[in-house]
Amino acid sequence: MRDDNNHKEMLILRGEGVSDGVAFGNAFVFRAEQYVVNEEFFEPGNEDDFVQEWEDARHTAQVELDKVFSVLDNVSGEGRAILDVHKSILFDEEIEEMVETAIREEKVVPASAVSRVFDIFISIVGDSSDPLIAERAADLRDVRDRLLRILRGESSSDLSHLPENTILVANDLLPSDAAMLEKGKVAAIVNESGSATAHLAILARGYRIPTVLSVPKATVLINNGEHLIVDGHDGIVVVNPDEAIGSAYADKKSQFDKKTALENEYQDRKGLLRDGTTVHIGINIGDDREDPGYSSCDFVGLFRTEFLYMDSQQLPTEQQQFDVYRRVLELAGDKPVTLRTLDIGGDKQLPYMSLPEEMNPFLGKRALRLCFEEMDMFKTQLRAALRASVFGKLKIMFPMVASVDDVRHAKSVLEAVKKDLDDEGCPYDPHVPIGIMIEVPSIAAIADLVVTEVDFASIGTNDLCQYLCATDRDNAEIREYYQSFSPAMFRTLHSIVTAFNAAGKEISICGEMAADPLATKVLVGLGLRYLSMNSASTAKIKMELAQFTLEDAEDVASAVMFLKTQKDIVEYLSSV
Amino acid sequence: MICRMTEIVNPSGLHGRPAAQLVEAAKRYQSKLTIRNVTERGEPVNAKSIVRILGLSASKGKTVELCADGEDEIQAIEDLITLIDSGFDEI
Repeated sequence: MRDDNNHKEMLILRGEGVSDGVAFGNAFVFRAEQYVVNEEFFEPGNEDDFVQEWEDARHTAQVELDKVFSVLDNVSGEGRAILDVHKSILFDEEIEEMVETAIREEKVVPASAVSRVFDIFISIVGDSSDPLIAERAADLRDVRDRLLRILRGESSSDLSHLPENTILVANDLLPSDAAMLEKGKVAAIVNESGSATAHLAILARGYRIPTVLSVPKATVLINNGEHLIVDGHDGIVVVNPDEAIGSAYADKKSQFDKKTALENEYQDRKGLLRDGTTVHIGINIGDDREDPGYSSCDFVGLFRTEFLYMDSQQLPTEQQQFDVYRRVLELAGDKPVTLRTLDIGGDKQLPYMSLPEEMNPFLGKRALRLCFEEMDMFKTQLRAALRASVFGKLKIMFPMVASVDDVRHAKSVLEAVKKDLDDEGCPYDPHVPIGIMIEVPSIAAIADLVVTEVDFASIGTNDLCQYLCATDRDNAEIREYYQSFSPAMFRTLHSIVTAFNAAGKEISICGEMAADPLATKVLVGLGLRYLSMNSASTAKIKMELAQFTLEDAEDVASAVMFLKTQKDIVEYLSSV
Repeated sequence: MICRMTEIVNPSGLHGRPAAQLVEAAKRYQSKLTIRNVTERGEPVNAKSIVRILGLSASKGKTVELCADGEDEIQAIEDLITLIDSGFDEI
């Protein structure tokens, strides 16, 4: 074995990043005791003593939990709520009765009784069809393990005095253990089990500790004291990083830290120019997680629905889609949510559907074109969306529209679905606004004609640029030809925005350009008042908006209209 | 004995904290209290037990039936239904 740290082999592990941030530190490997409890019996006659032992254990557990509470005093309400749940489990009357019965009637020692009774409920709760409820099995295990440890006469595993820059690597870190972690000492958490909705994840986000969960065999592959880098955003753990990776992550960390400082400043503000003009800030979402950043936005400009189709082994049913759409609408509350119908094509394969292999998938049978072909699939999605519409403010948007024919075709399908729902007496919001993505040049060129056919539109700048410049944006070889700041892009944006504003219809941007502060001024100057982006970018865009007035923006936009190359435009925008 | 049905309206359903709150409220009454997931045709379980309530899988949109039997049954039902309908401060 080589013992020189510099020569240890680098290893990259992957898991689910649940709490954002980058951390450097040294591994502290913590394997929670796996209490294997065999059924153990005692001689009849000592029932009262054993029942007393069980009651004492519960009392001790309560004292421990109270201690955790006092540590949590300055933590978010979430942490307290978690411990309320633990106390409720600890004093559950059904568990109490079953454990006592096992001790008194069956002469089972307390540890065996606790293990047996808790395991029954752990498996019932863990099997719940609702993932949020199934996660609560972790809390039952937490309370069970606490009781078993106390019954063995061991004191609590103390994670509250770890050295600085410790990265805790655990197999099954309990939420109550995590609650005891000293903030500022633990640089990151890596855990073998768990997912984004686990209490552990919620606590980690509350403490702002970068965290990666569900990293298989982490405690086996990582040794105590090994140098680690944890990327809580992308869910990556680097063991014994080499210099190149180390410096790449040092950059990422400093960017993240800067971003965090900014976010604290601007996160919860509205999008306002220096002169008070409002710019509505939206977020793009791609799943139904609980909080993608609803509190710091005005609307959801793009709800991608592909995950429903990609993450499963068969076409999602109407009910599955309905549940997800309803959940998103309810989580978003009074904020409008723009659902984009399935946008998929030959570049991505679905395991249960054979999509044609095409020479040019981005110019092929994708998105709306595929939906027109697979009418049942399309109608199922529209039915689910319309049925969910009564639970929030839904808008429906069609991708890859290339002509007015496409718009009319899609709308006629929607009308047919509405009629079916009417016939079945199924409730839906009849006034759901219908819009299109503007990403194909042939529709961008006739924005003034298509505007009368729709309620709103959103410009997908990534695809628009790719089609306008005839450049595959994923091909690194030709990156220089993908010019999102080209004069052609801004002129195209100008004509679209002008047509929609003149008609009094909402026009937004949901592509990457909306998240680029360099473009913000010119976009506002062109007349855009709705910018939708990934939620990580809202703070920096809000900050950028606060730097200029509408007059500044309009001057910049007019000037850009007459610049002849992307280079000129970028240079000009960087200078103003 | 009296029974009443209602729909779970809070986004996260009867999971951790809402379940703990429901148990805490139920324990204030003498009556025997049970809760049943009507949507999934479940059996009635003890409403004063958090582990039983978690086992109901009563997520949002599910209909549950509460039954109370005892001297304070009317008050108990009123109180618990109000709590569920209020959405446990989640909405």
